[in-house]
Amino acid sequence: MTATTPPAVPDAAGGGPRPRTSALSVAEAAAVRRLGLEPVGMVLGTIVLQVVSSVAGSAGFGGGPSAMAGWGGGPAGGSYTSYPCVHMMGAAAEHWGFNAEDAGYASSVGSGFATAVARLVEEAKALGAHGVIGVRVDVGDLVGGWSTWTFRATGTAVALPGSPVPSEPFTTNASGTHVERLVAMGLAPARLVTGVGACYVRPNCRTRGDLLAPGTIDQIPQAIDVARDRARAAVREAARHHGQGVVHTDWTDRRLPSWGEGWIQSAVAIGTAVRRFGPRQAPAAPRPVVPLRP
Amino acid sequence: MSTETPNGAAGSPADHMRAAVAQLATRHAPEPGVFVSDLLVGELVLLDEVGYEPVDLVSGAGAASWNPQVASAPGGSDAWAAAITGALGTARAAIEREVVTRSAEGVVAVQLSLARRPGNVLTCSLLGTAVRRQQRPGGAGPEVRPGTAGAGAPGVPRPGDHAEGRGRAHPGQRSGHVPAGRRPFGTTLSARDFHLLVRAGYEPAGIAAGAAVVAFPARSVGQGLGLSRDNLELQEQTAALYQAREIAMARMEAEARAQGADGVVDVSFGEQPFNSMLVHAVEVLAIGTAIRRTAGGHRSLEPRLQLALDDAAPDVFRRG
Repeated sequence: MTATTPPAVPDAAGGGPRPRTSALSVAEAAAVRRLGLEPVGMVLGTIVLQVVSSVAGSAGFGGGPSAMAGWGGGPAGGSYTSYPCVHMMGAAAEHWGFNAEDAGYASSVGSGFATAVARLVEEAKALGAHGVIGVRVDVGDLVGGWSTWTFRATGTAVALPGSPVPSEPFTTNASGTHVERLVAMGLAPARLVTGVGACYVRPNCRTRGDLLAPGTIDQIPQAIDVARDRARAAVREAARHHGQGVVHTDWTDRRLPSWGEGWIQSAVAIGTAVRRFGPRQAPAAPRPVVPLRP
Repeated sequence: MSTETPNGAAGSPADHMRAAVAQLATRHAPEPGVFVSDLLVGELVLLDEVGYEPVDLVSGAGAASWNPQVASAPGGSDAWAAAITGALGTARAAIEREVVTRSAEGVVAVQLSLARRPGNVLTCSLLGTAVRRQQRPGGAGPEVRPGTAGAGAPGVPRPGDHAEGRGRAHPGQRSGHVPAGRRPFGTTLSARDFHLLVRAGYEPAGIAAGAAVVAFPARSVGQGLGLSRDNLELQEQTAALYQAREIAMARMEAEARAQGADGVVDVSFGEQPFNSMLVHAVEVLAIGTAIRRTAGGHRSLEPRLQLALDDAAPDVFRRG
């Protein structure tokens, strides 16, 4: 080890220096070394959270009609659209469908991601890291139960020996090799940014696929639009404070069953905000080749 | 190992990394506008090489339902196919509107997802990165002509030169091959394939799709129960498959022609059987990227054969 290597974390049992861990592949480790970065350890942030919808009781499985009873015109601030019955005779308004922006669900899931990443960053800070690369954020229902979600963020903390330790390490979902390319582009990985959007859908007859009223359906596309738009806006807003753009956005649309025939249409976007630290590098001049491989 | 730094001086990647970390430690005033993209870094570079920059993630969705029993009756199949085309068309129109409102020129790497829930409701959603010509001066343009810049013997690349001979001495050498006011283009091609397409002298015209649904009669009772042991061709079903494919292809070709395309690439063919008590049909959806030649015509990329002396890399080396 050279003198510039940060001190290894002592083992909890006091049995000498703890071996450093990393989730990097060999290629990534090589790329990270070329950048002068030292992997200092794998870091983890996790939170088990009860995810709560502001429209349909609890996400995953609705709170039932009683949860709907408090409903009057949709939650404050969210969009609300109703979709009438399209049968010839028409049905009473209580049988109509509606789309209601689910700000509660979006903020619940959003805070789950944010907390998991914040805890990962705390671990990285404790290791004296300059950043965390290859951050994977996932959601599961490993522990907990009904309407309980497990948010987990994992990554490899890296240090840049000889540089002052920043107050806030950078975080990115880009792999080591991608970070190398990013830096070669004159872009610094700044922050992992997440955005969540959600829309509760109670389908009207046509959206349910009623055979007597087929035709163009507006309700589903408009729910997808609301969810995606909010997720995208949240990512953009987060990125504004850290850089000039977002790359590597990982996009997940989900349709979570809820009470009755309703569902929550959700969109989650996770990307890396990048900040320019120098001019664009000279053209990379990629050359087309045909590898003679079987 | 050392490379050229962004400002032209020699520096190692580690120097760049230190500069990056130092920059991140400074305060950052919130930007008025930021781009959002799902591009990987390599794709960002490849777009940059042909003079495009990302603007925003854009999305579009459409949905339609149909009554399979009515729609598969004789003469009624078109309502079913029209519903599929309609859902796709709504989604395409919506993503085009988003591209236009962002003053972008088109959208690359469009991901198409189709969901059927329930079986007679099709939801089609599109998501891609809107791109436009670079606003900054001096961007490398798409005008890549083989052997015009005199970069030395062909096949002997020099640092900073394209193999085709585009030197770095031609910044801003770019003609607007997407005139203002033209409909935005869409493509299912990845940023990498878009790069290749533009370098080879083509441009995407749009996403072309064709759908067809052909119903066929049920098998006889004997066949259905497995009592008929004859090795027979089910001619109606074979014919239905042929017919559905032909119609879908013809419709896709008609869409491409309407977009002024010379051809369609990256066509994916989706066949979906539909069997219920009363309805037996096959759905075919053909979707691809319509392309047209740009003014310069086709340009050969002259790819070189490369003999790799290693085995195919295991997956661990491919990560990233």
